[in-house]
Formats: sequence, structure tokens, C-alpha cells
Amino acid sequence: MEIEDDEILQGFIEESLEHLADIENDLLAIEEGGAQIDEDLVNKVFRAAHSIKGGAGFMGLTRIQELSHAAENVLGMIRAKKLIPTPEIVNVLLIAADQLQNMIEDVQNSNEVDITSHLIPLNAIADGTFSQPPAEAPPQPASSQAKAAEKTPQVSEVAPPADPPPLPEPILQPDPVVAEEPVVAESATEINDIEPTGHYENSDDDSAYPEEENNDEIAPPPGDITVKAKQGTQAKGETSLRVHVSLLDSLMNLAGELVLSRNQLLQTIGSDNLRNAEAVGQRIDLITSELQEAIMLTRMQPIGNVFNKFPRVVRDLSKKLRKSIDLTIVGKDVELDKTIIEAINDPLTHLVRNSVDHGIELPEQRKKVGKTERGLVILKAYHEAGQVVIEISDDGKGLDGEALAASAVQKGLITAEQAQVMSDKEKVNIIFLPGFSTAKEVTDVSGRGVGMDVVKTNLDQLGGNVDIISEKGAGTTISIKLPLTLAIIPCQIIETGGERYAIPQVNLEELLRIPANQVKERVERVGDAEVVRLRGTLLPLIRLSDVIGIERTYYDHQEDQIKPDRRELISDRRGKESPLLRREDEPAKKASKNRNEYPRSVIDRRYSASSALNIVVVSTGSMKYGLIVDRLQDSEEIVIKPLGRHLQQCKGYAGATIMGDGRIALILDVSNLARMAQLTSIDRSDRAAEVAKAAEEALKAKLDRQSLLIFKNSETEHFAVPLNQVERIEKIKRSDIEDLGGKRVMKYRGGSLSLICVDDLAMVQPLADHENLLVIVFNIAKRAVGLLATGPIDALEVSAEIDDTTLSQPGIMGSIIIDNQTTMLVNVFEMVQSLFPNWFIEQEKFVVEEIEEGEPPNILIAEDSKFFRNQVKGYMTEVGYNVIEAEDGVEAWDKLEEFGDTISLLVTDIEMPNMNGFELTQRIRRESRYSQLPIIALTTLASAEDVAKGQAVGVNEYHIKLDKERLMVSVHDYIKRRH
Amino acid sequence: MTDNSAAGKNRTIVELATFYVGDALCGMDILNIQEINKLMQMTKVPQAPDYVLGILNLRGQIVTIIDLGRKLGLGETDISQDPRNIIVNSAGGHVGLLVRKISDVVTADMSKREAAPANMRGIQGEFFKGVFKTENTLIGILNVEKVLSLEE
Repeated sequence: MEIEDDEILQGFIEESLEHLADIENDLLAIEEGGAQIDEDLVNKVFRAAHSIKGGAGFMGLTRIQELSHAAENVLGMIRAKKLIPTPEIVNVLLIAADQLQNMIEDVQNSNEVDITSHLIPLNAIADGTFSQPPAEAPPQPASSQAKAAEKTPQVSEVAPPADPPPLPEPILQPDPVVAEEPVVAESATEINDIEPTGHYENSDDDSAYPEEENNDEIAPPPGDITVKAKQGTQAKGETSLRVHVSLLDSLMNLAGELVLSRNQLLQTIGSDNLRNAEAVGQRIDLITSELQEAIMLTRMQPIGNVFNKFPRVVRDLSKKLRKSIDLTIVGKDVELDKTIIEAINDPLTHLVRNSVDHGIELPEQRKKVGKTERGLVILKAYHEAGQVVIEISDDGKGLDGEALAASAVQKGLITAEQAQVMSDKEKVNIIFLPGFSTAKEVTDVSGRGVGMDVVKTNLDQLGGNVDIISEKGAGTTISIKLPLTLAIIPCQIIETGGERYAIPQVNLEELLRIPANQVKERVERVGDAEVVRLRGTLLPLIRLSDVIGIERTYYDHQEDQIKPDRRELISDRRGKESPLLRREDEPAKKASKNRNEYPRSVIDRRYSASSALNIVVVSTGSMKYGLIVDRLQDSEEIVIKPLGRHLQQCKGYAGATIMGDGRIALILDVSNLARMAQLTSIDRSDRAAEVAKAAEEALKAKLDRQSLLIFKNSETEHFAVPLNQVERIEKIKRSDIEDLGGKRVMKYRGGSLSLICVDDLAMVQPLADHENLLVIVFNIAKRAVGLLATGPIDALEVSAEIDDTTLSQPGIMGSIIIDNQTTMLVNVFEMVQSLFPNWFIEQEKFVVEEIEEGEPPNILIAEDSKFFRNQVKGYMTEVGYNVIEAEDGVEAWDKLEEFGDTISLLVTDIEMPNMNGFELTQRIRRESRYSQLPIIALTTLASAEDVAKGQAVGVNEYHIKLDKERLMVSVHDYIKRRH
Repeated sequence: MTDNSAAGKNRTIVELATFYVGDALCGMDILNIQEINKLMQMTKVPQAPDYVLGILNLRGQIVTIIDLGRKLGLGETDISQDPRNIIVNSAGGHVGLLVRKISDVVTADMSKREAAPANMRGIQGEFFKGVFKTENTLIGILNVEKVLSLEE
């Protein structure tokens, strides 16, 4: 088909597509409104359909005209309130709008498209409803049929979609006025009507979701979605952009100003007036920056452009999956660069579909777990710290980190050891691992994770960042952080070999300058790799000149010149020849050949400032290395320009930029440079070490961490007490100690402080004979007591295993290895108890009373560390309670089930394998029969966060481990209340 | 743009801008040329193919400079001899072709073009569409697309 005037046609296409984009959301709003018809809205949609019809008629696009006409008829009836827009009717309209869009996007072939499958239902709505009472009749058959169709999707699939069902009505005469029928025939027409209605619902189901039908059942294969969405975006007019007239006006103004300034500039150049030139320069500076800002603004598009299509996506998909889901969109007005808006379309679609498909459960399931039947997906955009954050959250079933980890291990993506040390958050983020989410069975296990790595890659390319927070059973939030714009980025400018290069600041970690006299000590060689010691870690070094294969140079400050560098190794002070390096380093060889060309510098450079190393520490993903450059310059905001295709093979550059002096600087691609320097091997070992370290740390974290105060008694023996028991530490002189009545005391805060020594009770070496002593003050049994000690003292957080047998004796509860020193853990409580037994008389009585009542109460102790379990058990049995032990949450639960009501109190650790204290508490609180069971949580470090979390899940009280006194008071308290 | 290329296909009479690459006189359709410059301040690109001399800033556009002499195997163009830079607009952006010297514009009838000899003074024939004979010399007609295409 031929269309004469290209421009008019283009105008029609653009206008129609705009109308259609609005129609979709308007229709959804109409559907939501139901019987309460918003006339304005309906009018708007009606007018849109009408103008498309008019335009199409003018252009000779008959099919588009027919279809829009049929849609217009239905809309007209809705507008006249002759028809209530049921979801089924809106559905038909939406599908028709989709078809219209397809045809308009491919306008040349639109007249060949078969649209009967759309016309029939549209006309049926128009005709059928006309002869029936408009209030209830039309929706009923439609909806019942629709339900039937949904229940038996097989049947609807069998029906060939292209084949229009035989209908009594003529196809192309949809005019409702003509189709008026006598009311007498009501019953007859009704039967007639139900048939076609049913048919078209069926045929709709086929034609409406052509893609969904194929790949969308439960787990859409990753590729399909992206491909489909891409086609969608490409088809939509990317070539033109809507810009507000006011913005255009301001651009025009600025351009005018620029022209004036140029004229001024030309005049000043002629006049040789330097001061004027300066003024003009400033003016131009001002105008250009304003111009730049204004032009950037034109590229800014509201994110609503992308968000607006999601109501439809969610609606269609949830309908198909038989879920009921609300979509809340927040922050439509947030603006992002056009390129970013276009590029996030696919990833966002994917994520939203995932939320609907895998995140939100079926209504029945939701009901079962006590959620509302309607799921909620929230799409949110907002500014944060110069970035735009997009959040997609659902209140669905969340991600099962354990299942994900297990599956990743099974796939060989991570090792079992790695999985073991991963935090919950890391486990959830496994779904972004490449190669993780391709197979379908993963989806079954994890319930999520189709092609997520593709999403991540796409976002990474945009300089974005994606993060998942998920709580099993409570929902998932995926947050994406994006830069506002891609065109301008801050960069560090460096110089090497006389040329400038830019390093994006996102890759920049720090700048490091090693003075000449430290180079030798700090730069070392490991194999043939050079590394620098940086705060205790070894940082691999790359010479930029070597990687990009130019001659090594250095910058001579005195002469302000770039000079060739003849040293082979960074740490070399003389040009020593290294056979190892020579063999592998071609440029170095060349340099050495040319050696004679450069006369030896008069000044010995070894100790001069120019021998200092300038290192740019950069990081990219998993890699971190130091790039040695000749000179460091300023950091600048640069505009990225692409390199021509002849330079595409140069992997070391991400692009180029034009500097203030008009010359070009190349932008370095930090990750590719590392690859070119074959840094991977170093990197791998480095990473391995890092992973091992992380593993170790995580293991440490798994063990209970304990804050200890380390001190000495004699010169050789090391002691420790739990830091949280310590009230304060006093420095005293030996002469401050008074020996009265066989007891040592000192004056302390207006009273006497009883002093004890570790060797008073324990069989250890006596207190060293120092003039300066320390008194560690404890508060036990509501009295202060001071433990004499000698320095040095230190507070440490340790997580080593406490050995409670080898060195255990009265006053010593066990030993622990700290920095290869066996350190004895002092049991201050026990010491005080045996040295001052009268302090405890009151409390003992109290316990005896309790127990006289009958059976001793059962206390369940859940604690994975044997040491702490024994300690706590000791406290309890000492005063007569019966203790049931459990090594973790799972065992504790089993014990609880076993002993049931006879357990009066649970004392639980928080950090435990299999089931931690929080989970255990949660589980217990879920059962009504245990709702009254007091739960005391024991921790080594009670952060406010933990306390809050504990309270949220139902922990009654928090106590610090080894704080016997408080724990026991609270245990007594709860037991008393319970009996 | 589209008009030009459409018309170009049917034209037989074209104006050839001619220039010297080394000692060889080459020509290309003048409509392919955006402008001809002196060699301005250039930035070297380490690791670039040897025929890429560098990149320069042409009014805000990054232009890759190709030494036509090297590309055609006719020897490096001597930068000190004030070479000229022919800016052509190719599919991948602007590219500058460095030539030794610019010569006349010659009107040529492309129907009288002759096939390039298999071994035209050592030049790889693949870069030439053919040769055009004038009264006293031969002009090798450059296949610009071929010259600008990437080597495998």
C-alpha cells in the first residue's frame, strides 16, 4: 500500500500512539470505577478512539478505521451509560487497543491485518447489550463464560484463534441504532447472545495473550520477556521526544545569548582589550553551563512513562494467574535521563512480572498464612543522595535463602563452604548469579529467579545497583539505584606518557603516593607481580604504561618534563636487569634497547621527589588494584563520547572526552585494564584469601562473641573477665590498700571497697609486686567488690571456643586462647560467693522458699556453646531448678513439645545453628498453648537492634551472658509469677 | 542525505576529489567528503591498530584519524610534511583519512571506469573500486567503505 505524504502519516502515527498510551490506563481506571462512570475519563478515551478513527479514515487505513470505530461504539455506549464497563468489556477494549497499536506501529501493512476477531466481540458488546436491560444482563453471561474459559484453558487453546466463530450478526455493521430490536424478542436474543459472547470470550483468551499463552504459564523463560519487551520499546517512537515549550523557550533564549556573547567575543578579539575578554569569557562560561543544564533537562523524562504500563501488566498477569493483586505506584514524576528510562524498561518489567508471578501467592495460600487475599505490589521511585531509587516490593512469600543457596551449591556456582558462611542477605542475592536462574526447576525450589542475572547485567551497564531484601513469608523488596544521567560523569584525570586519561570516580577508591624513600620498603614482588602494602593488605600493582604498551615515563618536577623511565622494577633503584621480567615484558625490552639514547641524568633520581610513585587505587566488582601513573591531576566532570569503530578493539578504554584545552583524553576501563594485565590470577588468589577471611569471620560470628577484659595477676599468667560485668577500673597505688581485720579494703567513693585477688581462691601465682595496681570493680549481690590486677589491660572481642575443663578450678570458669596466649576466665561471682558467703544469704533463702512448694520447676536452656550452657545450667541447678538442655533451636522445640506445660521458662541463646533464638521464639509464639511461656534471651552483645527484634518476636527479657545475678533475679521473678 | 545517495547511485558523472597517498593518486566521490583539514592536535591511542594515528576533537566530535598510506600499504604518511586530513562521514561516525597532499577535483564519467588491475603498484586492489584514466595520469578510485571497514 502506498501512502502519499510521509509527514502527515508520521504525524498521525505519533499522535495515535500517544492516544493509545493514555487509553490503556484510562480504561483500567474505568474498569476500576465500574458502575460509577467517570464521564470525563470515558469522554477522553472516546475522543481518542474517535480521532484515531478520523485520522485513519483520512489516510485510507481502513482496518484501523474499522477497529477504532467498533471500539468507539462501545465507548459511546459506556458514555451514554447504556453499558456498564465490566472487566470483560474493558478487556475486549484493551485488546482492541493493543491491536490498534500493533497496526499503527506497522502502518504499511495494517490493511492486510485480519481484525475480525476483535470486531466480533466489540460488535457483540454493542449489539448484545442494546437489546438487554443494561444494568445486569451483559456482565453475567460474559463473566460466567470467562470463568468457564479460565477453568478450562485447554479448551480455549484448542479453538483456533484466527478462525472467527460463526456468528449470526453481520460483521461490519455495528451501528447500535440500526441493531435495535423489539423488546418482545428478549428471551430469544438472550440465548442467541450468550452463545457468541461465550465464543468471543474464548477466542479472546487466545488472541489476547499471544505471548503469555506460550511462555508465561508459571515460569517465563528469561529470554522471551526481554526480547519481547525490546521489540516493544524499539517499535515505540524513540526518535522523537516531547519537550515542554517553556523549556524550549529558555533554550532559545540561551542560544540567543550565546550568539550575542560570540559577537562580543569577536569584537574583543579585534580590540585587544584583555579585561573585556575576561568579562566575555565569564559570560560564555555562564551561558554554556546554563545551556548544558537546560539541554540535560530536555532529556529528563518522568519515570511515569515506564511505570504507566505496569497497571496493565499486573492486571493481565494477575488475572491470568488467578491472583488478586493491587499495584500502588509512587513517584511517577521522578525524572531520569531518557536513555536510562528506555533501558530500565525491560529489567523493570521483568522484576514486576516476577513479583506478580512468583512473589505474590495465590489467594487461598495467602489466606492460609493469615494475609489478606489481595496481594500488594508497590512500585516506588524517589531521589536519594543524587541518585534515583526504584523499589519494587511485594508482600508475597519472599525468598528462601537456604533453598537458593542449596540450589546454587548443587549447580556448582558456589561451594558448600561458601554457602555456609553466607549471610541471609548474600543468600538472597544468589539469584543474581549468572547461570543460576536458567533452569525451570530452580524456579520451583526458590519460587523466584528467572533470568535475574540478565536484569542485573542490564542495570550494571547503566551504572545502576540492585539489591534484594527479602523476608521469608513476608515479601521481597528489590531496590534499584540509578544515576540521574549517564552523559556526564565525574572523573579523576591522570597523566601517563604525556597523555591524559580519565578514570571514572565510581571506580576510584583512593589516591596513593609513595614517597621515594619508602618505595623500596612498601613495594614488593610476589612472583612476577608487584604489590604494595596498603594497610596490612597486599594490593596488586599495574603500570598503566605497561598495560597499554607505551614507554615508561616519569614526571620530573624540577624540569617540568616527562622523561623516560629506565627502571625495570618499581622497587629498583638502579636499572637492574631482571631476566624474569624481561622475558614477559616486551615493552621493557624495547626500552632497554633504547637505553643509550638517554644520557644519564646528572641528579641522582633515586632519592628525588620524582621517584615517588603515584598510585590510583581502583576497584571494579571483585577486583581492586593499584594503577601506577606518572601524574595525578584534578578531578573533573567529563562528557563521555564514544570512540569510533576502529578503536572498538582497544578494550582498555570506555570512551573519550574532550578536555578544557580542546584535546582529547581517553577514559580508562578499569576492569578491562585488569584483564589486559592478566590480573585475574593475582585477583583469584587475592579473592580466595578474601573469601577465606570472610569465611573465618563468619565462622567467628557463628560462635558466640564475647567481650573480655584482659589483665594480669602475676607477670606470666593472663586472666580475663567478661567486660559486661565490669563496673569500672581504678588505678591505685599499692599504698592505697589497707589490710584491716584480715581483709583488704580501700577507700572508694566515700566507703570501703572490699578487695580480692585471683589468687585468694584460685591456685594461681600471687599478685605481682608492682607499685601501680589496677582495681577492677564489679557489682555483685548489690555490693561493689574490687579485683586487684596488674596491667597491661585490654578490652577484646573474642569468639574462640572456651575450654571449661582443662584449667577449671574454683574461681576460674575456664580458659580461652587469645592471641596464642592461654587466658584464664575468672569467675568473679564464684569468688565473691566463697570469699563473702554472707552476701548471698538473702537470695538463698528466697530460692529455698520457692522450691518447697513441690516439684522443682523445669527450665529449658537452648544454647549451642557447651561452655555457656554449662554455666547457665550451673546457675540454675545451684538454686534448685531442674534444667532441660538443648543444643539449638530445633532441639529446644522438640524438647518443648516433649515436656509441654511442665516447662516453666525458656532461656535461649540468640545465635544458634539450625534455628536461632529469634526463630525459636517466633515459632513458640505462634502456638497459642505456649503463648504464656516466659522467654529470656541471652546474648553476649545486646545491640538495641537485637533487643527490638527480640521484642518484636516475643522475647520477654534480654540478659547478657554470664551476668548471673540479673539473669537469676529475672528467672526467679518469672517462676514466681508462673506458680 | 537520502537524496544524495539515491541520486549517487544513478549518476555516472561524478566529481572526484583526488589526493596523493604516498606517490599514488587516489580519488573519491567528493560527496563522501565532509571537509578537508590540516592535521590538528591529535591524541594518541595506545594499543590502537597501527593504521590508526590517533583521535582528534573536531568541534566536539571525536574523530578517528586513519593514516591512509599505512592502511593501503603505501608507507607511513610523513606528519612533518603538512599532510591533510579528509573527514568522511561513515556509518560508525566521523573518520579522518590522512593523505600526503590534496590534488584537483576531477570530473569523471564512472561508466568509463576500468577495473582495478590485480596488482596496482603494490596497492591492495581490494581497496579500489577501479581506476579512472585522465589525459596524463591514472586515478585509483577508493572504495571508502572498504577502507573504513574493520579488518578481521
